[in-house]
Amino acid sequence: MGTLRFYFALWCAKLIKLLLILVGRKGTYFSGKAAIKICPDFLGRIGKPETIIGVTGTNGKTTVCNMITDLLEACGEDVLSNRLGSNINAGVAAALIDGASLSGRCRKGIAVLEIDERSARLVYPYVRPDYIVCTNLFRDSMRRNAHPEYIASVLTEHMPKASKLILNADDLISSAIAPENERVYFGMDRLECESEARENIVMDISVCPVCGRTLEFEFRRYHHIGRARCECGFASAAPDYKAVSADFKNMELKVLERGEARKYTLVSDTVFNIYNELAAITLLRELGRTPEEIESALKRTGIVQSRFREESVGGKKVTMLMAKGLNAVACSRGFDHVSREQGKKVVALMYDDIFDEKQTSENIAWIYDVDYEFLNSDDIVQIIPCGVRALDGKLRLLIAGVPEEKITTLRSEGEIAGAIRYNDADRIFLLYDVYRYDIALKVLDEVMKKVREVHQ
Amino acid sequence: MKVEILYPEICNLFGDTGNIRYLMRCLPEAEFIRTALSGEPLFLKSEPNLIYMGPMSEKSQERVIERLKPCKERIIELIDNGVCFLFTGNSMEVLGEYIEAGGTRIEGLGVLKLRAKRDMKNRFNSLFLGKFEDMEIVGFHSRFSSAESEEGGFAEVVRGCGTGAGSVTEGVRRNNFFGTYLLGPLLVLNPDFTQYFLRLMGSEAKIAFEDTARRAYALRLAEFRDQKRHLD
Repeated sequence: MGTLRFYFALWCAKLIKLLLILVGRKGTYFSGKAAIKICPDFLGRIGKPETIIGVTGTNGKTTVCNMITDLLEACGEDVLSNRLGSNINAGVAAALIDGASLSGRCRKGIAVLEIDERSARLVYPYVRPDYIVCTNLFRDSMRRNAHPEYIASVLTEHMPKASKLILNADDLISSAIAPENERVYFGMDRLECESEARENIVMDISVCPVCGRTLEFEFRRYHHIGRARCECGFASAAPDYKAVSADFKNMELKVLERGEARKYTLVSDTVFNIYNELAAITLLRELGRTPEEIESALKRTGIVQSRFREESVGGKKVTMLMAKGLNAVACSRGFDHVSREQGKKVVALMYDDIFDEKQTSENIAWIYDVDYEFLNSDDIVQIIPCGVRALDGKLRLLIAGVPEEKITTLRSEGEIAGAIRYNDADRIFLLYDVYRYDIALKVLDEVMKKVREVHQ
Repeated sequence: MKVEILYPEICNLFGDTGNIRYLMRCLPEAEFIRTALSGEPLFLKSEPNLIYMGPMSEKSQERVIERLKPCKERIIELIDNGVCFLFTGNSMEVLGEYIEAGGTRIEGLGVLKLRAKRDMKNRFNSLFLGKFEDMEIVGFHSRFSSAESEEGGFAEVVRGCGTGAGSVTEGVRRNNFFGTYLLGPLLVLNPDFTQYFLRLMGSEAKIAFEDTARRAYALRLAEFRDQKRHLD
C-alpha cells in the first residue's frame, strides 16, 4: 500500500468528502478525482475488498449494478458500491475511499463497481474484479465511444485475464470480448409475447466476424440482439443461464440453469430488464448463492425502478420516459415503446445535449441513427421536438415521413404544456435526456395542471 | 436515376445513412441499389448517377479494400467520366495509397493520392466550417485518423481542421468525386451544397423540406461562426 503521497491523498480525499457532506453534496466523485491528482496510482494502492464485481456495457449497467448491490445486501452482505457516484476511475476511487479506514484498509468484504467502458484502461490495471458483468455493447456517443467494435477492443485489451466474465449470449459483440477469459453466458428464448423485431436503423453487427458473410438471425429481438448463425459454422454462444419464459401476469421468470429449471420473481415487465435481472441472477449463482437465497432476496428488493414515471387524470395518462441522449439505441427503444402503446398519442422530445447547447453546437448526426420512423404512425397525433435543435428534430421527422402538420417545434421546454393539443390525445409522452430530468419533471407538473384544467 | 450505396451493412456508422434517407426524399423517383459485401457492385456494368459509401469501423476498412481492389481501374474510369461519388467519414481512406495503423501499413486501392494515419488512442472531435465555391459548408469531425493528400481539397477550412494537421482544405475532390471526413450527415446539414450536388447528379429536383432545412442550416451556421463557441 502506502507511500507518504498515498496517505496524503487519502486523508485529503477523506477531508474533501467530509466537507462535501457538510455542504449537503452526496455522490460526487470529487474526492476520488483529488486523490488521483495527488497520487496517480492511488487506485492501485488503496485497500480493496476480498471480492470485486465490475459491471460494464453500453445500456443497463446502472440498473444491473443497483440490482446486484440490492440482492447482495438482501443476502446480508455489506456492499461497497459507486451507485451514488460516477463510473469513471475517479468514481471508483471515491467509492474505495468511502470504504477505506484512515490507514487505507478496506472495511468491506465485497464491492460492486459500475465501470464505464472507456475507463477500462484507467481502472483495470489497478482494480482487478473477480467477476465482470458486461450487459451489452451498442453504438453510443460517437465522440467518446467511436463504435462498438472499438469499445470491444478496449475491453479485450484491458480486462484482467483472471476476471470471470458474465456475458450476454444474445449479443454477438459483447459475448466475444476477451476470448481468453473464463466466461459464463446468460440469454433468453423468444418469449410468447414477442413478435419479430421491426427493422432498426442500427444493426451493429450483421456480417459474420469470421468469414464476412451476412449473418442469419433465427430470432432478432431488437437491433443486433438475438440468436444468429453463419453458414461457416459461427453462431451465438449457448447460454448457461437461459430465460425460457416470463409470466408477466404472475411476475414469474423461468430460468434454465445449466439444464435445471428454476423460478424467480420477475422484477420488471420490460424485456430489456429481463436481461438485466438475468445478468444479476447469473452473477449471484456464480458467486455461490443458492436459487432460494436469490429468490428470497428478489422478493425483498421488489420491482426495479424503471425510467418511467406515469401520472393520470380522468383516463388521460402522462408518461415521462428517460433515454440517454446521443445514444441512438436507447432512444429507439423509447420510440418503439411509445409506438406500441394504445391510444392517440402526443410525444414531446427533449433530447438536446445540455452541455453543448451553450458552449458549442451539438453534433446531431446521432439522430439519424435513431428510429424516428417508429413515430410515423396514425395514432401519434402530435410530435413536439423541443430546444435549440428543434428544427433538426423536425427535419429528421419529415425525413421519417411524419406529416408536417403533426410537428410543433418549440425553442424551450417551458412552452410544451401550452402547445399540446390536449383534446386530440389520450396519452402524452415526455421523452427526455438523462441530464434533463429536473426540466422534464417541471414539464410534467405543468402538463398535469393543464390536463386537470381540460378535464374539469 | 440510380444511386448505388456500397456495403451499407457495414458502412453505416455515425448517422451518415441519413444522407441516403434524405436523397430518397429529394429524389422519390430514383432507384436506390444497396450493394452488399457479398455482392457485385452495380458500377462494374453501368454508370450510376451516384456511388455512395459511408463511414465504417477500422476492421471493416480492410474488408472493403479487399472487395474493391479488383474494381480499381473501373473506379478510376468512372471518376474520369465524371460520375458522382460521395464518400463520407473514413470511407475515402480505402481509395487512398495506404492507411498507417500502429506500425503496420494497410495498402489501399491507390485511386487517390492520399495517405491516412490512424491514432486509436486519440479520437479527434470538432466542428467544421468551410467554404466550397461560394457556399459555406458545415459538418462535424469525429475520427481516429487524419490524412495527407495531393488531391484537390473539397472545402477550404474557415473554422476547425482540414484533412490532416495543418491542412488548409478538408476532404478530396477529383472531378465529381467528393470524399470528406465530415459527418453530419453532410447532405442534410448543407442545403446549398445538396442542391448543387443534385444538379451534378443530373437532377433538376429541388431539395426536400427546403424551408426547414434552410432554417436549421442558418441557425447552425450562426453557431459555427460564433467565436465564443468552442469547436470540440
